[in-house]
Amino acid sequence: MRGLMSRPNTMIMLGLAIASVALAARDPVWIDTWVIVGVYVLIALSTGISYGQAGILSMSQGAFAAIGGYAAAVSTLRFRLPPGIDLLIAAALPALLAYGLARLVTRLTPLATALATLALGSVIEIALRNMDNITGGYIGLAGIPGIGIIDTPLKYCVLVWALICLCVLMYENLVNSPFGRALNVIRHDRTRAQADGVNVPQLLSGAFAFSAAIAGSAGWLYAHYISYISPNSLDTHTSISALLMTVIGGSGIILGPLAGTVFLDVLVRHLPAQELQGMFYGGALILILILAPTGLLGLMPALLARLRVHRGPRGTIKAATAKPEATL
Amino acid sequence: MTEYIVRGIQAGSIYGLLALPMSLLFATAGTIDFAVGAYALLAAAVATIVAGPLGIAVAIVAAITAAAGMGVIFLVLTRIGTKDHIVFALASFGLAVAIASFILWQFGTQAFVRASFSQFWSLGGIRISPQGVINLGLGALVTLLLYLLLYWSDLGRMMRAAAANPSGAELAGIPVARIQFGTYLAGGLLGGLAGIMILYSAGLDFTASLSLTLGGFGAAIIFGITSPLRCLLGGIAMGVAEALAAGYTSGMVTAMVPFLFVLIVLSVSNLGGAMAGDRP
Repeated sequence: MRGLMSRPNTMIMLGLAIASVALAARDPVWIDTWVIVGVYVLIALSTGISYGQAGILSMSQGAFAAIGGYAAAVSTLRFRLPPGIDLLIAAALPALLAYGLARLVTRLTPLATALATLALGSVIEIALRNMDNITGGYIGLAGIPGIGIIDTPLKYCVLVWALICLCVLMYENLVNSPFGRALNVIRHDRTRAQADGVNVPQLLSGAFAFSAAIAGSAGWLYAHYISYISPNSLDTHTSISALLMTVIGGSGIILGPLAGTVFLDVLVRHLPAQELQGMFYGGALILILILAPTGLLGLMPALLARLRVHRGPRGTIKAATAKPEATL
Repeated sequence: MTEYIVRGIQAGSIYGLLALPMSLLFATAGTIDFAVGAYALLAAAVATIVAGPLGIAVAIVAAITAAAGMGVIFLVLTRIGTKDHIVFALASFGLAVAIASFILWQFGTQAFVRASFSQFWSLGGIRISPQGVINLGLGALVTLLLYLLLYWSDLGRMMRAAAANPSGAELAGIPVARIQFGTYLAGGLLGGLAGIMILYSAGLDFTASLSLTLGGFGAAIIFGITSPLRCLLGGIAMGVAEALAAGYTSGMVTAMVPFLFVLIVLSVSNLGGAMAGDRP
């Protein structure tokens, strides 16, 4: 218990996940929405790890998720592997690819690395579209079986959000570990990290591989839940959305990607036309970069401090009631 | 073989035009404008609804206006103390997404393409498209003008000074911020020009903006991003590679060429030196 208490983000995440799944369980439409939102939260969390911690502005998380999804589809449909085992493949394949790419390019600047991930994402997408005999080309693969005992949308919903909690726990452990601190040093000053004896390329590549594995598992879940996957399911658009959600929520904060995903998803549902989504996302990104460079969640500490100052003696009560907002 | 090379040279000048703003901006502001491809897209879309030479002028103005928006965002970000170059790139990325979405909203998923010449010239059995020759000529002309601007004018000297040492240039009384803003505008002009050329050659649709940006970046880095003058050559090299891939391999490889180019160049070249500089 003490271990969990020293991990506030995981505690908050656990509370939020339980409350939101319980709320969503009342309505089948909400369950479905919440599963898909959960998949996006996983991909956004993976972007948070790669950009917020390793400083790799990744535009290929959607492609990693697609590889995870296709790995799930191909290994269950073609090789008849029991669902569940394929999670290992779905996580390992993108991780390997990410590690290889990162070893090649992390010695370069963050800008060059970002472009390399964009290029890799595009290459993966084109490959998925064209390898007809494996991926089914433009048509995609249908009839992917469910995951064993997980057979209702509600169970998928619980599974997705449990996975999110697990990822947040691992993420928080990473941040509090020597590796996480070393990543922090690298992000601020690479030369300093080298002088401290940190193996910079290896650590960055490892963190990027970890984030790719999370994105791959998100794709695995998506494929099993929808039971169908095509090149349009998880594409560059997904990567871009995940990146924007992460930055808008707060890339350096563990729960930032979650906040960004939920915020944007809720707002997009109220847009008059689906085509406007990009304008909205892009505009929100620019506004956030100008008004709140640390993201939505980054605003919270200042907001809380202001509340405390203004409220005077009663501030403690006010701050305590305002706290749940800080988690969203 | 020769035909593919000739075709590649004609198509490559477009990449060259897209590469110029990448290189200029990287030199003067140390960042990348992801929206250059979006300016091209915007110009092509505007040119389809306004007819004739006026359309081209309006299209270029639209592209420059969009780039001015990016320039303003850059200035605001600088004003509030942003030093991390990747934040500027991220903001331009947001603008690119917004422009692509705007095009989708206003014009739908239609492809923007306009055939200019129905006749092809024939030279020793090789088909040459007049538009390709115009593209190549324009690319060379713009590169030449840029060379003259950079190396033979006061403005060019100030730009090079701002690129070499921003704080030193600032101390010498050079308006560095204004020059960087101007570089963003130039990105709009060149991107818009490239967009018009694509409209009259291969055509494009609303999904093209990011791959155009990436193609331009690839062309800019092949022979070194620090020199704008190598961009045209880089673009031609990329165009030839693409044409050869189209001739001898599958469609999959052809579509991958610009991206593979970027990946290969980034992983083998010593770009780390050229793009060096730690995070602030």
